[in-house]
Amino acid sequence: MEKDFAQLNYYEMLDIKPDATALEIRSAYNSALQIYQSDSLASYSFFSPKERKEIITLLEKAYFTLINEKEKESYDNELIRLGIIDSTEKNAAVKGPVSIFDINRQRDTSGMLKTHNAELKAKVSQNQRIREILSQQKISGADLKAIRNELGVAIENIHQETKIRIDYLNGIEENNIDKLPAAVYLKGFIKAYLKCLCIEPADEISARYMSGLARN
Amino acid sequence: MAHIWPIGGGKGGSGKSFLASSLGRLLAKSGKKTLLIDLDLGAANLHTMVGVPYPEKCFSDFVTKKIPVLEDTVLGTPFPNLFLISGAHDNLDIANLPYDKKIKTLRAIAKLQYEYILLDLGAGTAFNTLDFFLASRNGIFITTPEPTSIENVYRLMRAIYFRRIRHYFSATDFKALEKKARQQSGDDSFNKPEHIISIVKKEYPEKYMLIKKDFNSFCFKLILNQLRKQDNTDLGMQICKIIKKHLGINVIFTGNIAYDEHVHDAICQRVCFLDRYPHTRAANDLRELNSKMSDSLGEQLMLNYL
Repeated sequence: MEKDFAQLNYYEMLDIKPDATALEIRSAYNSALQIYQSDSLASYSFFSPKERKEIITLLEKAYFTLINEKEKESYDNELIRLGIIDSTEKNAAVKGPVSIFDINRQRDTSGMLKTHNAELKAKVSQNQRIREILSQQKISGADLKAIRNELGVAIENIHQETKIRIDYLNGIEENNIDKLPAAVYLKGFIKAYLKCLCIEPADEISARYMSGLARN
Repeated sequence: MAHIWPIGGGKGGSGKSFLASSLGRLLAKSGKKTLLIDLDLGAANLHTMVGVPYPEKCFSDFVTKKIPVLEDTVLGTPFPNLFLISGAHDNLDIANLPYDKKIKTLRAIAKLQYEYILLDLGAGTAFNTLDFFLASRNGIFITTPEPTSIENVYRLMRAIYFRRIRHYFSATDFKALEKKARQQSGDDSFNKPEHIISIVKKEYPEKYMLIKKDFNSFCFKLILNQLRKQDNTDLGMQICKIIKKHLGINVIFTGNIAYDEHVHDAICQRVCFLDRYPHTRAANDLRELNSKMSDSLGEQLMLNYL
Protein backbone atom coordinates (compact mmCIF):
# COMPACT_ATOMS: atom_id res chain seq x y z
CA MET A 1 0.00 0.00 0.00
CA GLU A 2 1.38 3.35 -1.03
CA LYS A 3 -0.39 5.50 1.53
CA ASP A 4 -3.14 5.21 4.05
CA PHE A 5 -6.41 6.52 2.66
CA ALA A 6 -6.48 9.21 5.33
CA GLN A 7 -3.10 10.50 4.14
CA LEU A 8 -4.20 11.04 0.57
CA ASN A 9 -5.06 14.56 -0.43
CA TYR A 10 -8.64 15.32 -1.39
CA TYR A 11 -7.90 15.09 -5.08
CA GLU A 12 -6.32 11.67 -4.73
CA MET A 13 -9.23 10.46 -2.64
CA LEU A 14 -11.67 11.34 -5.37
CA ASP A 15 -9.33 10.36 -8.19
CA ILE A 16 -9.42 13.71 -9.92
CA LYS A 17 -6.89 16.28 -11.03
CA PRO A 18 -6.51 19.61 -9.21
CA ASP A 19 -8.02 21.43 -12.17
CA ALA A 20 -11.28 19.48 -12.02
CA THR A 21 -14.48 21.42 -12.54
CA ALA A 22 -17.34 21.38 -10.09
CA LEU A 23 -19.20 18.93 -12.26
CA GLU A 24 -16.25 16.56 -12.42
CA ILE A 25 -15.85 16.78 -8.66
CA ARG A 26 -19.49 15.89 -8.21
CA SER A 27 -19.43 12.91 -10.49
CA ALA A 28 -16.18 11.70 -8.92
CA TYR A 29 -17.83 11.93 -5.52
CA ASN A 30 -20.83 10.02 -6.78
CA SER A 31 -18.77 7.20 -8.21
CA ALA A 32 -16.65 7.05 -5.06
CA LEU A 33 -19.82 6.72 -3.00
CA GLN A 34 -20.95 3.88 -5.22
CA ILE A 35 -17.79 2.02 -4.33
CA TYR A 36 -17.63 2.78 -0.62
CA GLN A 37 -21.27 2.84 0.46
CA SER A 38 -22.19 0.20 2.96
CA ASP A 39 -24.50 -1.58 0.51
CA SER A 40 -21.95 -1.53 -2.30
CA LEU A 41 -21.16 -4.88 -3.82
CA ALA A 42 -17.70 -3.87 -5.00
CA SER A 43 -16.30 -3.29 -1.52
CA TYR A 44 -18.31 -5.96 0.27
CA SER A 45 -16.33 -7.40 3.18
CA PHE A 46 -13.24 -5.43 2.19
CA PHE A 47 -13.59 -2.91 4.99
CA SER A 48 -14.73 -3.21 8.56
CA PRO A 49 -17.74 -0.99 9.39
CA LYS A 50 -15.42 1.36 11.23
CA GLU A 51 -13.03 1.71 8.30
CA ARG A 52 -15.91 2.25 5.95
CA LYS A 53 -17.34 5.00 8.11
CA GLU A 54 -13.99 6.72 8.27
CA ILE A 55 -13.59 6.59 4.51
CA ILE A 56 -17.09 7.95 3.88
CA THR A 57 -16.47 10.78 6.35
CA LEU A 58 -13.22 11.65 4.58
CA LEU A 59 -14.90 11.55 1.19
CA GLU A 60 -17.64 13.85 2.41
CA LYS A 61 -15.10 16.25 3.79
CA ALA A 62 -13.15 16.18 0.55
CA TYR A 63 -16.27 16.77 -1.48
CA PHE A 64 -17.63 19.63 0.60
CA THR A 65 -14.24 21.33 0.63
CA LEU A 66 -13.64 21.07 -3.08
CA ILE A 67 -17.16 21.95 -4.15
CA ASN A 68 -17.01 25.20 -2.21
CA GLU A 69 -14.97 27.67 -4.22
CA LYS A 70 -13.61 29.61 -1.28
CA GLU A 71 -12.61 26.55 0.68
CA LYS A 72 -11.12 24.94 -2.41
CA GLU A 73 -9.00 28.04 -2.94
CA SER A 74 -7.55 27.95 0.57
CA TYR A 75 -7.08 24.17 0.42
CA ASP A 76 -5.24 24.48 -2.89
CA ASN A 77 -3.03 27.21 -1.47
CA GLU A 78 -2.19 24.96 1.44
CA LEU A 79 -1.25 22.11 -0.94
CA ILE A 80 0.85 24.47 -3.05
CA ARG A 81 2.60 25.71 0.06
CA LEU A 82 3.41 22.11 1.02
CA GLY A 83 4.64 21.50 -2.50
CA ILE A 84 2.15 18.70 -3.14
CA ILE A 85 0.63 20.27 -6.21
CA ASP A 86 1.94 22.81 -8.66
CA SER A 87 0.25 26.18 -9.02
CA THR A 88 0.26 25.71 -12.79
CA GLU A 89 -1.44 22.35 -12.37
CA LYS A 90 -4.32 23.96 -10.58
CA ASN A 91 -5.22 26.55 -13.17
CA ALA A 92 -4.70 24.57 -16.30
CA ALA A 93 -6.19 25.79 -19.55
CA VAL A 94 -9.78 26.93 -19.34
CA LYS A 95 -12.01 24.04 -20.11
CA GLY A 96 -14.84 24.03 -22.55
CA PRO A 97 -18.31 23.21 -21.38
CA VAL A 98 -18.76 19.71 -20.02
CA SER A 99 -21.90 18.05 -21.21
CA ILE A 100 -24.24 16.80 -18.55
CA PHE A 101 -25.01 13.68 -20.50
CA ASP A 102 -22.09 11.72 -21.78
CA ILE A 103 -23.24 10.91 -25.28
CA ASN A 104 -20.25 8.72 -25.91
CA ARG A 105 -20.82 6.60 -22.89
CA GLN A 106 -20.94 3.00 -23.89
CA ARG A 107 -23.03 0.36 -22.37
CA ASP A 108 -21.54 -3.02 -21.96
CA THR A 109 -21.60 -4.31 -25.49
CA SER A 110 -19.39 -7.31 -24.98
CA GLY A 111 -20.72 -10.23 -26.87
CA MET A 112 -23.15 -8.12 -28.88
CA LEU A 113 -22.09 -7.88 -32.45
CA LYS A 114 -23.62 -4.58 -33.33
CA THR A 115 -23.62 -3.79 -36.98
CA HIS A 116 -23.17 -0.13 -37.51
CA ASN A 117 -26.28 0.98 -39.29
CA ALA A 118 -25.03 4.26 -40.72
CA GLU A 119 -21.92 2.56 -42.02
CA LEU A 120 -23.95 -0.21 -43.61
CA LYS A 121 -26.35 2.25 -45.23
CA ALA A 122 -23.48 4.15 -46.79
CA LYS A 123 -22.04 0.89 -48.10
CA VAL A 124 -25.37 -0.17 -49.55
CA SER A 125 -25.83 3.09 -51.41
CA GLN A 126 -22.29 3.14 -52.77
CA ASN A 127 -21.88 -0.45 -53.82
CA GLN A 128 -22.39 -0.97 -57.53
CA ARG A 129 -22.98 -4.71 -57.27
CA ILE A 130 -25.66 -4.39 -54.64
CA ARG A 131 -27.52 -1.82 -56.73
CA GLU A 132 -27.38 -4.17 -59.68
CA ILE A 133 -28.80 -7.03 -57.65
CA LEU A 134 -31.55 -4.89 -56.18
CA SER A 135 -32.64 -3.69 -59.58
CA GLN A 136 -33.33 -7.26 -60.71
CA GLN A 137 -36.90 -8.35 -61.18
CA LYS A 138 -36.35 -11.53 -59.20
CA ILE A 139 -34.29 -11.80 -56.03
CA SER A 140 -33.02 -15.24 -55.05
CA GLY A 141 -31.32 -16.55 -51.97
CA ALA A 142 -27.99 -16.47 -53.74
CA ASP A 143 -28.53 -12.76 -54.39
CA LEU A 144 -29.12 -12.16 -50.70
CA LYS A 145 -25.94 -14.01 -49.93
CA ALA A 146 -24.04 -11.94 -52.47
CA ILE A 147 -25.33 -8.74 -50.87
CA ARG A 148 -24.37 -9.94 -47.44
CA ASN A 149 -20.89 -10.84 -48.62
CA GLU A 150 -20.49 -7.46 -50.29
CA LEU A 151 -21.33 -5.82 -46.98
CA GLY A 152 -18.98 -8.11 -45.12
CA VAL A 153 -21.51 -9.20 -42.50
CA ALA A 154 -21.17 -12.70 -41.11
CA ILE A 155 -24.21 -14.93 -41.12
CA GLU A 156 -23.76 -15.43 -37.39
CA ASN A 157 -24.26 -11.70 -36.86
CA ILE A 158 -27.56 -11.83 -38.65
CA HIS A 159 -28.49 -14.83 -36.60
CA GLN A 160 -27.66 -12.95 -33.40
CA GLU A 161 -29.55 -9.83 -34.31
CA THR A 162 -32.62 -11.33 -35.89
CA LYS A 163 -32.75 -14.47 -33.72
CA ILE A 164 -33.56 -16.45 -36.87
CA ARG A 165 -32.21 -19.97 -36.67
CA ILE A 166 -28.97 -20.36 -38.53
CA ASP A 167 -30.13 -23.38 -40.54
CA TYR A 168 -33.06 -21.29 -41.83
CA LEU A 169 -30.64 -18.56 -42.82
CA ASN A 170 -28.46 -21.08 -44.60
CA GLY A 171 -31.52 -22.56 -46.29
CA ILE A 172 -32.59 -19.14 -47.51
CA GLU A 173 -29.18 -18.33 -48.91
CA GLU A 174 -28.77 -21.69 -50.58
CA ASN A 175 -32.31 -21.65 -52.01
CA ASN A 176 -32.85 -24.95 -50.30
CA ILE A 177 -36.61 -25.14 -50.42
CA ASP A 178 -36.89 -28.22 -48.21
CA LYS A 179 -35.24 -26.38 -45.39
CA LEU A 180 -37.39 -23.25 -45.54
CA PRO A 181 -40.19 -22.53 -43.08
CA ALA A 182 -43.79 -21.86 -44.12
CA ALA A 183 -44.26 -18.93 -46.49
CA VAL A 184 -45.85 -16.70 -43.90
CA TYR A 185 -42.80 -17.04 -41.64
CA LEU A 186 -40.37 -16.88 -44.50
CA LYS A 187 -41.65 -13.49 -45.59
CA GLY A 188 -41.03 -12.10 -42.14
CA PHE A 189 -37.57 -13.66 -42.02
CA ILE A 190 -36.59 -12.11 -45.32
CA LYS A 191 -37.75 -8.73 -44.11
CA ALA A 192 -35.78 -9.06 -40.89
CA TYR A 193 -32.74 -10.19 -42.85
CA LEU A 194 -32.94 -7.18 -45.16
CA LYS A 195 -33.54 -4.76 -42.30
CA CYS A 196 -30.56 -6.19 -40.49
CA LEU A 197 -28.44 -5.33 -43.54
CA CYS A 198 -30.09 -1.89 -43.79
CA ILE A 199 -31.51 -2.57 -47.23
CA GLU A 200 -34.56 -0.53 -48.20
CA PRO A 201 -37.36 -1.00 -49.06
CA ALA A 202 -37.53 -4.29 -47.22
CA ASP A 203 -41.24 -4.87 -47.96
CA GLU A 204 -40.91 -4.54 -51.66
CA ILE A 205 -37.77 -6.62 -51.99
CA SER A 206 -39.13 -9.42 -49.84
CA ALA A 207 -42.24 -9.45 -52.01
CA ARG A 208 -40.03 -9.84 -55.09
CA TYR A 209 -38.18 -12.68 -53.35
CA MET A 210 -41.44 -14.42 -52.47
CA SER A 211 -42.89 -14.11 -55.95
CA GLY A 212 -39.63 -15.47 -57.41
CA LEU A 213 -39.86 -18.44 -55.09
CA ALA A 214 -43.51 -19.07 -55.95
CA ARG A 215 -42.72 -19.23 -59.65
CA ASN A 216 -40.16 -21.96 -58.98
CA MET B 1 9.49 -20.97 -21.61
CA ALA B 2 5.80 -21.60 -21.23
CA HIS B 3 3.29 -18.94 -20.31
CA ILE B 4 1.77 -20.11 -17.09
CA TRP B 5 -1.68 -18.86 -16.16
CA PRO B 6 -2.93 -19.95 -12.75
CA ILE B 7 -6.68 -19.50 -12.36
CA GLY B 8 -8.05 -19.01 -8.86
CA GLY B 9 -11.15 -17.52 -7.39
CA GLY B 10 -11.58 -18.21 -3.73
CA LYS B 11 -15.12 -19.47 -3.91
CA GLY B 12 -16.28 -22.72 -5.40
CA GLY B 13 -18.55 -22.55 -8.41
CA SER B 14 -17.20 -19.27 -9.65
CA GLY B 15 -16.12 -20.81 -12.94
CA LYS B 16 -12.43 -21.61 -12.52
CA SER B 17 -12.55 -24.96 -14.28
CA PHE B 18 -14.95 -23.63 -16.89
CA LEU B 19 -12.61 -20.75 -17.66
CA ALA B 20 -9.56 -23.01 -17.71
CA SER B 21 -11.16 -25.46 -20.11
CA SER B 22 -12.55 -22.72 -22.37
CA LEU B 23 -9.34 -20.73 -22.55
CA GLY B 24 -7.40 -23.94 -23.12
CA ARG B 25 -9.73 -24.88 -25.93
CA LEU B 26 -9.36 -21.44 -27.57
CA LEU B 27 -5.60 -21.38 -27.23
CA ALA B 28 -5.32 -24.88 -28.65
CA LYS B 29 -7.63 -23.94 -31.49
CA SER B 30 -5.37 -21.05 -32.44
CA GLY B 31 -2.53 -23.55 -32.79
CA LYS B 32 -0.83 -23.10 -29.42
CA LYS B 33 0.34 -26.21 -27.66
CA THR B 34 -1.59 -25.94 -24.44
CA LEU B 35 -1.56 -27.97 -21.25
CA LEU B 36 -4.26 -27.89 -18.59
CA ILE B 37 -3.25 -29.04 -15.13
CA ASP B 38 -5.98 -29.83 -12.66
CA LEU B 39 -4.54 -28.62 -9.38
CA ASP B 40 -7.90 -28.46 -7.65
CA LEU B 41 -6.45 -31.07 -5.34
CA GLY B 42 -9.11 -33.31 -3.90
CA ALA B 43 -11.99 -31.96 -5.98
CA ALA B 44 -10.75 -32.34 -9.52
CA ASN B 45 -13.13 -32.35 -12.42
CA LEU B 46 -11.43 -30.58 -15.26
CA HIS B 47 -11.23 -33.87 -17.17
CA THR B 48 -15.03 -33.97 -17.47
CA MET B 49 -15.05 -30.58 -19.13
CA VAL B 50 -12.50 -31.39 -21.79
CA GLY B 51 -13.95 -34.70 -22.86
CA VAL B 52 -11.67 -37.14 -21.02
CA PRO B 53 -14.19 -38.89 -18.77
CA TYR B 54 -11.95 -41.80 -17.76
CA PRO B 55 -8.37 -40.62 -17.54
CA GLU B 56 -5.98 -43.51 -17.09
CA LYS B 57 -3.17 -41.48 -15.51
CA CYS B 58 -3.30 -38.63 -13.08
CA PHE B 59 -1.32 -36.09 -11.12
CA SER B 60 -1.22 -38.34 -8.07
CA ASP B 61 0.90 -40.87 -9.96
CA PHE B 62 3.64 -38.27 -10.08
CA VAL B 63 3.34 -37.45 -6.40
CA THR B 64 3.47 -41.11 -5.38
CA LYS B 65 6.39 -41.67 -7.78
CA LYS B 66 4.46 -44.27 -9.75
CA ILE B 67 5.32 -42.16 -12.78
CA PRO B 68 8.66 -40.50 -12.18
CA VAL B 69 8.42 -37.72 -14.78
CA LEU B 70 5.53 -35.25 -14.75
CA GLU B 71 5.57 -35.12 -18.55
CA ASP B 72 4.49 -38.77 -18.63
CA THR B 73 1.24 -38.08 -16.78
CA VAL B 74 0.07 -35.86 -19.63
CA LEU B 75 -3.02 -37.13 -21.45
CA GLY B 76 -4.23 -36.22 -24.89
CA THR B 77 -7.75 -34.81 -25.28
CA PRO B 78 -10.19 -35.10 -28.18
CA PHE B 79 -8.97 -31.65 -29.28
CA PRO B 80 -5.71 -31.22 -31.17
CA ASN B 81 -2.99 -29.28 -29.33
CA LEU B 82 -4.82 -29.55 -26.03
CA PHE B 83 -3.33 -31.72 -23.29
CA LEU B 84 -4.35 -32.47 -19.76
CA ILE B 85 -2.89 -33.59 -16.49
CA SER B 86 -5.94 -34.89 -14.75
CA GLY B 87 -6.73 -35.16 -11.08
CA ALA B 88 -9.55 -37.63 -11.50
CA HIS B 89 -8.13 -40.55 -9.58
CA ASP B 90 -5.92 -38.59 -7.24
CA ASN B 91 -5.32 -40.27 -3.92
CA LEU B 92 -7.87 -39.24 -1.34
CA ASP B 93 -5.21 -37.50 0.74
CA ILE B 94 -3.93 -35.43 -2.19
CA ALA B 95 -5.47 -32.24 -0.79
CA ASN B 96 -2.79 -32.23 1.88
CA LEU B 97 0.14 -32.20 -0.50
CA PRO B 98 3.28 -31.87 1.63
CA TYR B 99 5.63 -28.93 1.09
CA ASP B 100 8.46 -30.89 -0.53
CA LYS B 101 6.06 -32.52 -3.00
CA LYS B 102 4.63 -29.14 -3.84
CA ILE B 103 8.06 -27.67 -4.59
CA LYS B 104 8.90 -30.74 -6.63
CA THR B 105 5.69 -30.25 -8.62
CA LEU B 106 6.37 -26.57 -9.25
CA ARG B 107 9.87 -27.35 -10.48
CA ALA B 108 8.51 -30.06 -12.74
CA ILE B 109 5.85 -27.72 -14.14
CA ALA B 110 8.52 -25.14 -14.92
CA LYS B 111 10.35 -27.71 -17.02
CA LEU B 112 7.37 -28.74 -19.15
CA GLN B 113 7.61 -27.86 -22.80
CA TYR B 114 4.33 -26.23 -23.75
CA GLU B 115 3.43 -22.83 -25.07
CA TYR B 116 0.71 -22.25 -22.51
CA ILE B 117 0.12 -24.00 -19.21
CA LEU B 118 -3.16 -23.30 -17.41
CA LEU B 119 -3.39 -24.23 -13.75
CA ASP B 120 -6.92 -24.85 -12.53
CA LEU B 121 -6.75 -24.20 -8.81
CA GLY B 122 -9.14 -25.13 -6.06
CA ALA B 123 -11.37 -22.98 -3.92
CA GLY B 124 -10.18 -21.64 -0.62
CA THR B 125 -6.88 -20.21 0.49
CA ALA B 126 -4.83 -23.26 1.42
CA PHE B 127 -1.08 -22.74 1.18
CA ASN B 128 -0.95 -25.11 -1.76
CA THR B 129 -3.44 -23.01 -3.70
CA LEU B 130 -1.59 -19.79 -2.86
CA ASP B 131 1.80 -21.18 -3.87
CA PHE B 132 0.50 -22.56 -7.13
CA PHE B 133 -1.12 -19.22 -7.82
CA LEU B 134 2.18 -17.49 -7.14
CA ALA B 135 4.00 -19.82 -9.52
CA SER B 136 3.52 -17.25 -12.23
CA ARG B 137 3.16 -13.51 -12.44
CA ASN B 138 0.09 -13.83 -14.63
CA GLY B 139 -2.46 -15.11 -12.16
CA ILE B 140 -6.11 -14.80 -13.09
CA PHE B 141 -8.77 -14.12 -10.47
CA ILE B 142 -12.31 -15.07 -11.31
CA THR B 143 -15.40 -14.13 -9.36
CA THR B 144 -19.13 -13.80 -9.82
CA PRO B 145 -20.99 -10.58 -8.96
CA GLU B 146 -22.30 -11.90 -5.67
CA PRO B 147 -21.26 -10.79 -2.19
CA THR B 148 -20.18 -14.29 -1.20
CA SER B 149 -17.92 -14.66 -4.18
CA ILE B 150 -16.49 -11.16 -3.89
CA GLU B 151 -15.80 -11.68 -0.21
CA ASN B 152 -13.79 -14.78 -1.05
CA VAL B 153 -11.86 -13.25 -3.90
CA TYR B 154 -10.78 -10.38 -1.65
CA ARG B 155 -9.72 -12.95 0.88
CA LEU B 156 -7.74 -14.81 -1.73
CA MET B 157 -6.02 -11.62 -2.88
CA ARG B 158 -5.12 -10.70 0.67
CA ALA B 159 -3.91 -14.20 1.39
CA ILE B 160 -1.71 -14.18 -1.69
CA TYR B 161 -0.30 -10.78 -0.82
CA PHE B 162 0.34 -11.98 2.70
CA ARG B 163 2.02 -15.16 1.54
CA ARG B 164 4.31 -13.22 -0.76
CA ILE B 165 5.37 -10.82 1.98
CA ARG B 166 5.96 -13.80 4.21
CA HIS B 167 8.51 -15.14 1.71
CA TYR B 168 10.78 -12.19 2.50
CA PHE B 169 11.09 -12.83 6.21
CA SER B 170 12.25 -15.50 8.54
CA ALA B 171 9.68 -16.99 10.87
CA THR B 172 10.81 -15.04 13.93
CA ASP B 173 11.03 -11.73 12.08
CA PHE B 174 7.56 -12.24 10.75
CA LYS B 175 6.17 -13.03 14.19
CA ALA B 176 7.65 -9.80 15.49
CA LEU B 177 6.11 -7.98 12.57
CA GLU B 178 2.68 -9.40 13.27
CA LYS B 179 2.96 -8.44 16.89
CA LYS B 180 3.79 -4.87 15.98
CA ALA B 181 0.88 -4.68 13.60
CA ARG B 182 -1.41 -5.85 16.35
CA GLN B 183 -0.10 -3.22 18.73
CA GLN B 184 -0.41 -0.45 16.20
CA SER B 185 -3.72 -0.95 14.60
CA GLY B 186 -5.91 -3.19 16.67
CA ASP B 187 -6.45 -6.89 17.07
CA ASP B 188 -7.67 -7.95 13.64
CA SER B 189 -5.06 -5.93 11.81
CA PHE B 190 -2.37 -8.63 11.62
CA ASN B 191 -4.79 -10.23 9.21
CA LYS B 192 -4.51 -7.36 6.80
CA PRO B 193 -1.44 -7.31 4.60
CA GLU B 194 -1.81 -3.56 4.09
CA HIS B 195 -1.08 -3.01 7.77
CA ILE B 196 1.86 -5.36 7.74
CA ILE B 197 3.35 -3.67 4.72
CA SER B 198 3.10 -0.22 6.26
CA ILE B 199 5.14 -1.53 9.17
CA VAL B 200 7.63 -3.16 6.83
CA LYS B 201 8.00 0.22 5.17
CA LYS B 202 9.00 1.78 8.47
CA GLU B 203 11.13 -1.01 9.88
CA TYR B 204 12.75 -2.59 6.84
CA PRO B 205 12.90 0.04 4.09
CA GLU B 206 15.18 -2.06 1.83
CA LYS B 207 12.85 -5.04 2.06
CA TYR B 208 9.90 -2.76 1.41
CA MET B 209 11.50 -1.61 -1.82
CA LEU B 210 12.11 -5.23 -2.85
CA ILE B 211 8.53 -6.24 -2.12
CA LYS B 212 7.19 -3.23 -3.96
CA LYS B 213 9.32 -3.98 -6.97
CA ASP B 214 8.22 -7.59 -6.80
CA PHE B 215 4.54 -6.67 -6.79
CA ASN B 216 4.91 -4.15 -9.55
CA SER B 217 6.15 -6.91 -11.81
CA PHE B 218 2.98 -8.94 -11.25
CA CYS B 219 0.32 -8.80 -13.88
CA PHE B 220 -2.76 -10.12 -12.11
CA LYS B 221 -6.04 -10.15 -13.95
CA LEU B 222 -9.63 -10.15 -12.84
CA ILE B 223 -12.52 -11.69 -14.72
CA LEU B 224 -16.15 -11.34 -13.71
CA ASN B 225 -18.16 -14.43 -14.52
CA GLN B 226 -21.92 -15.03 -14.74
CA LEU B 227 -22.82 -11.40 -15.19
CA ARG B 228 -26.57 -11.18 -15.57
CA LYS B 229 -28.28 -8.41 -17.47
CA GLN B 230 -29.23 -6.45 -14.39
CA ASP B 231 -25.75 -6.56 -12.87
CA ASN B 232 -23.46 -3.58 -12.74
CA THR B 233 -20.98 -3.84 -15.60
CA ASP B 234 -18.55 -1.46 -13.87
CA LEU B 235 -18.16 -3.78 -10.91
CA GLY B 236 -14.88 -5.22 -12.15
CA MET B 237 -13.35 -1.79 -12.58
CA GLN B 238 -14.51 -0.79 -9.13
CA ILE B 239 -12.96 -3.87 -7.55
CA CYS B 240 -9.65 -3.19 -9.28
CA LYS B 241 -9.78 0.42 -8.09
CA ILE B 242 -10.26 -0.63 -4.49
CA ILE B 243 -7.43 -3.16 -4.72
CA LYS B 244 -5.11 -0.58 -6.22
CA LYS B 245 -5.96 2.10 -3.71
CA HIS B 246 -6.09 0.10 -0.55
CA LEU B 247 -3.84 -2.89 -1.14
CA GLY B 248 -1.49 -1.31 -3.65
CA ILE B 249 -1.69 -4.32 -5.99
CA ASN B 250 -2.22 -3.82 -9.68
CA VAL B 251 -5.00 -6.04 -10.92
CA ILE B 252 -6.13 -5.53 -14.49
CA PHE B 253 -9.80 -5.97 -15.13
CA THR B 254 -9.97 -8.09 -18.26
CA GLY B 255 -13.66 -8.47 -18.88
CA ASN B 256 -17.06 -9.84 -18.08
CA ILE B 257 -18.50 -13.18 -19.06
CA ALA B 258 -22.26 -13.10 -19.53
CA TYR B 259 -24.45 -15.48 -17.56
CA ASP B 260 -25.64 -18.18 -19.87
CA GLU B 261 -27.95 -21.12 -19.24
CA HIS B 262 -26.23 -22.92 -22.06
CA VAL B 263 -23.11 -23.38 -19.97
CA HIS B 264 -25.08 -25.60 -17.64
CA ASP B 265 -26.49 -27.52 -20.61
CA ALA B 266 -23.07 -28.04 -22.13
CA ILE B 267 -21.60 -29.30 -18.86
CA CYS B 268 -24.54 -31.69 -18.38
CA GLN B 269 -24.04 -33.00 -21.88
CA ARG B 270 -20.31 -33.29 -21.08
CA VAL B 271 -19.33 -31.49 -24.25
CA CYS B 272 -17.18 -28.43 -24.74
CA PHE B 273 -19.37 -25.35 -24.34
CA LEU B 274 -17.58 -23.43 -27.09
CA ASP B 275 -18.20 -26.19 -29.62
CA ARG B 276 -21.77 -26.87 -28.62
CA TYR B 277 -22.93 -23.22 -28.38
CA PRO B 278 -20.44 -21.11 -30.32
CA HIS B 279 -22.75 -18.18 -30.98
CA THR B 280 -23.94 -17.38 -27.49
CA ARG B 281 -23.02 -14.25 -25.58
CA ALA B 282 -20.87 -16.14 -23.12
CA ALA B 283 -18.93 -17.76 -25.97
CA ASN B 284 -18.33 -14.38 -27.55
CA ASP B 285 -17.15 -12.99 -24.25
CA LEU B 286 -14.73 -15.88 -23.86
CA ARG B 287 -13.27 -15.35 -27.31
CA GLU B 288 -12.87 -11.66 -26.59
CA LEU B 289 -11.14 -12.41 -23.29
CA ASN B 290 -8.82 -14.85 -24.96
CA SER B 291 -7.76 -12.37 -27.61
CA LYS B 292 -7.21 -9.74 -24.93
CA MET B 293 -5.12 -12.06 -22.83
CA SER B 294 -2.98 -13.84 -25.35
CA ASP B 295 -1.00 -10.71 -26.03
CA SER B 296 -0.15 -10.21 -22.38
CA LEU B 297 3.38 -11.42 -22.07
CA GLY B 298 6.16 -10.42 -19.72
CA GLU B 299 8.17 -12.37 -17.29
CA GLN B 300 6.38 -15.63 -16.83
CA LEU B 301 7.80 -17.75 -14.11
CA MET B 302 9.04 -16.97 -10.68
CA LEU B 303 12.65 -17.95 -10.73
CA ASN B 304 12.81 -18.91 -7.09
CA TYR B 305 11.28 -22.28 -7.94
CA LEU B 306 13.76 -23.17 -10.63
